[in-house]
Amino acid sequence: MELYAVLQITWWLLLGVLLIGLAVMVGMDMGVGTILRYVGRTDLERRVALNIIGPHWEGNQVWFVLGGGAVFAAFPLIYATAFSGFYVVMLLLLWSMIMRPLGFEYRSKLPSAAWRGTWDWALFVSGLVPMVVFGAAFGNLFHGAPFHFSWNLTSTYTGSFLGLLNPFAILCGLLSAALSVFMGAATVMNGAVDAIHERARTLARLSAALAIVLFAIGGIWVRGMQGFVLTSSPAPGIAQTPLQQAVSLVDGAWFGNFHAHPLLWIVPMLGFAGMLLGLLAAGARRSHLAWWLGAVAWLGVIGTAGVALFPFLLPSSSMPAQSLTVWNASSSQLTLTWMVGFAAVFVPLVVWYTSWAFYVMRGKVKAEHVAADEHAY
Amino acid sequence: MHDITVVDLSRWQFALTALYHFLFVPLTLGLSFLLAAMETVYVTTGKPIYREITQFWGKLFLINFALGVATGLTMEFEFGTNWSFYSSFVGDIFGAPLAIEGLMAFFLEATFIGMMVFGWDRLKRGQHLAVTYMVALGSNLSALWILIANSFMQAPEGASFNPTTMRMELGSLTQLIFSHDAQAKFVHTSIAGYVTGAIFVAGVSAWYLLQRRHVELARRSFRMAVLFGVLATAGVITLGDALGFIGGQAQPTKLAAMEGLWKSEPAPMPFNLIAFPSQQEQLNRGQVQVPYALSLLVTHSLDGTVPGVDQLEQAAAARIRDGIPAVSALQALSAHPGDPAALAQFRSHQKDLGYGFLVQRYAADVSKATDEQIATAARDTIPQVAPIFWSFRAMVAMGLAMLAFFVLAVIYSMRNNVEHKRWFLKIAVWMIPVPFLACETGWLVAELGRQPWTVYGMLPTWMSASTHSVGYMVFSLIGFVALYTAFIIAEMYLMVRAIRKGPDEPHASGDGRLINDRSQAARVAGYAEG
Amino acid sequence: MKTFLQFVLFMVIAVVVILMAIVLGGSGAWYFAWLVGTGMIVLITAAGGALLDAQDEHAADEARARVADA
Repeated sequence: MELYAVLQITWWLLLGVLLIGLAVMVGMDMGVGTILRYVGRTDLERRVALNIIGPHWEGNQVWFVLGGGAVFAAFPLIYATAFSGFYVVMLLLLWSMIMRPLGFEYRSKLPSAAWRGTWDWALFVSGLVPMVVFGAAFGNLFHGAPFHFSWNLTSTYTGSFLGLLNPFAILCGLLSAALSVFMGAATVMNGAVDAIHERARTLARLSAALAIVLFAIGGIWVRGMQGFVLTSSPAPGIAQTPLQQAVSLVDGAWFGNFHAHPLLWIVPMLGFAGMLLGLLAAGARRSHLAWWLGAVAWLGVIGTAGVALFPFLLPSSSMPAQSLTVWNASSSQLTLTWMVGFAAVFVPLVVWYTSWAFYVMRGKVKAEHVAADEHAY
Repeated sequence: MHDITVVDLSRWQFALTALYHFLFVPLTLGLSFLLAAMETVYVTTGKPIYREITQFWGKLFLINFALGVATGLTMEFEFGTNWSFYSSFVGDIFGAPLAIEGLMAFFLEATFIGMMVFGWDRLKRGQHLAVTYMVALGSNLSALWILIANSFMQAPEGASFNPTTMRMELGSLTQLIFSHDAQAKFVHTSIAGYVTGAIFVAGVSAWYLLQRRHVELARRSFRMAVLFGVLATAGVITLGDALGFIGGQAQPTKLAAMEGLWKSEPAPMPFNLIAFPSQQEQLNRGQVQVPYALSLLVTHSLDGTVPGVDQLEQAAAARIRDGIPAVSALQALSAHPGDPAALAQFRSHQKDLGYGFLVQRYAADVSKATDEQIATAARDTIPQVAPIFWSFRAMVAMGLAMLAFFVLAVIYSMRNNVEHKRWFLKIAVWMIPVPFLACETGWLVAELGRQPWTVYGMLPTWMSASTHSVGYMVFSLIGFVALYTAFIIAEMYLMVRAIRKGPDEPHASGDGRLINDRSQAARVAGYAEG
Repeated sequence: MKTFLQFVLFMVIAVVVILMAIVLGGSGAWYFAWLVGTGMIVLITAAGGALLDAQDEHAADEARARVADA
């Protein structure tokens, strides 16, 4: 195989790692935001929940920034086409995301109940909306998005905002929100005691059960869906544009990779196993274990989507021949090589000092401590 | 085809969101290193007041930082959402520094900022100090990678166009990273942030001294801030000159606009101290000149010259004519990849491809472009002179004013009697907005001066924008304005409130009391002398 | 007047330093200069803070000595 193709697949895998990192780390914080008003009935209880992720949300959020940056660097055509095509959705995602830093930093700076209540709602919106959008974006990949390119690869998007909120996308959005609530609830269980812990446990079990159902329905749905098949294109590893290929639509084609390589069934199985065992672990109050199982569930879910779509990254519903794939949307060989190098050095470094930060901040967050600590959120 | 209204609205949106983001960034860059210096004194001397000082400024740092991070997310999105063609055309080069920024810098900064805030009781002193340095280093490394990316737009180096993939591709990452423009631009911007942090701390401290509150905290903060500031300001001015020198060679049109230079003149060229440029008539309506100064400033010699608008427009017209066959050949290559005749034609005109794109704004089929259309496109290569000319002068004037301020502040602070110079303290408070304005005008010079290009000489702005409808742009502009207005109100309110409230428990511990008594005695002594 | 003369002197020094830096720097290794310069600025700033405490203590000692003399 060409070195370029190896690099492209490496970056496809790395993108998966980054998206899973994003889903796990940002999703957990978002989940806490979503369930904040439920697990915390009083202001102090909510502050406890917030302070559990207080020292980490900022670092976690970088997974999101890095996700965007990595798509830009490794698959610029995806970044350009998806971000501009999904304009309104992206803005909703962005606007809800940028409320979060302020929600954390500003919420507890004033004693006013109305002020804090407003920011609690802001944190709810900025927890739920981005996760639904994140999932819905994945859902839309299966249908493809209505875009096409001109001779110089200027992309034009011909769909509407509402078209992105189709039933399958909403299902994926709910699945993503459910998993994020599960991770958020497991995190709160890790750091809280008594009533807050119990409420989080209830939510963890509910959301895990919901996620199992949604993931199963999604699988059946995709089976009946038309999938995209690359019928002719320049070989992988050859520099190309999306203007040089032929694509056909075939019923059930998204299962093609699984049929061709049955070993891949492990990936969705991991998803189910993570959710099911996570449900049991949360029930048994093994919250750390539940958190890790939730991470496995994310790996299974995102991995399943990636494997089903491969080599497609963003199919075009209006001009299937111009669909974006791993082969035609990636950066040049040199850029991919450099970026593999940087990722190989810095991702382990990031994981190392993030772990250290979690280690330093380990333990339960106590209500009296939050009330007394002037640095607390 | 692009709707020019959409391009203009996209430019407005990007400028507004970037200028807004850039209100918070410089303070983060500078205050983080000031915090590190303050905490260094705490760790080395063990005096608790320095812990209070660090924690107090740290609190203000965080209020500012939150909005910097939030609005930074917008920037990361906006290349894709609003500059779609730009993103795919140069993403192979431009995306890499952005991703590395996240990987190397932003992770460092964001992970350790949590430790900085929450770790006071959990970390050893030395550990916490190291964490603070990591935050400062992370935020400045962040700026480094962003400015490397920006420098590619200003002076594209280390990349070339690949007709197979129809985009610019990376040629050398080290060339990209170590380009002269990137080096000078990063250092200029980073230490402009130091100046901003210094003025902010000095100004707020001066306000406390005027109020006779938190005097011990304020005197020490003031002393440290002005020393930090005077050195940083000298650096900013030095690097400003270096950047002007490097940027002037890379972008002669920006230089001509900055200096209001319509006609090329023989050496030694006079410097327009004040002028009223008219874009329409291509002349200055009234000007005050300093003889010889321009040659000295921009070429560092008396016999150096730089081209004026007249020469630059002529040169651009020639390059547009040369670029037209390149665009035609590229169009042929898109339809028939690898066509040898088209490829040969492309290769021989490749260097002016961007100029060919310029005229495509007026002639969709470039091969049928008229002389008039070419002349219009050539005229487009000159950016808006008046706003650049005045932004530049405002920035320089503010820089020099801050240098004078800091020199005097250092004199007073080293004599240890600044708290009695009330007139000067009042000036210090009024200085607070100045560095922010200077940074914004600097951004305007850099980015307005780059027009009509997003990547200088390679990719025109009009092509770079996403193909949205006007309705979408109105929607997003309204959303940004509404949201950002609410944010700045909340931020200013909290900032002013935190400053009014001051540090929490002024030196309650025993050791702190000692310092307080001694300082009290020192001030009594000061009164006795003065 | 003394302050004014000092101000002028230090401004002249600042301008000379900047001019020297411009002439010596050119389009030089600014990343390296930043690294060294930032370290230097931070250390000088920290030293300035410590110096203020030393000045305070010195002034307090002198004041105490004056009280004792009287």
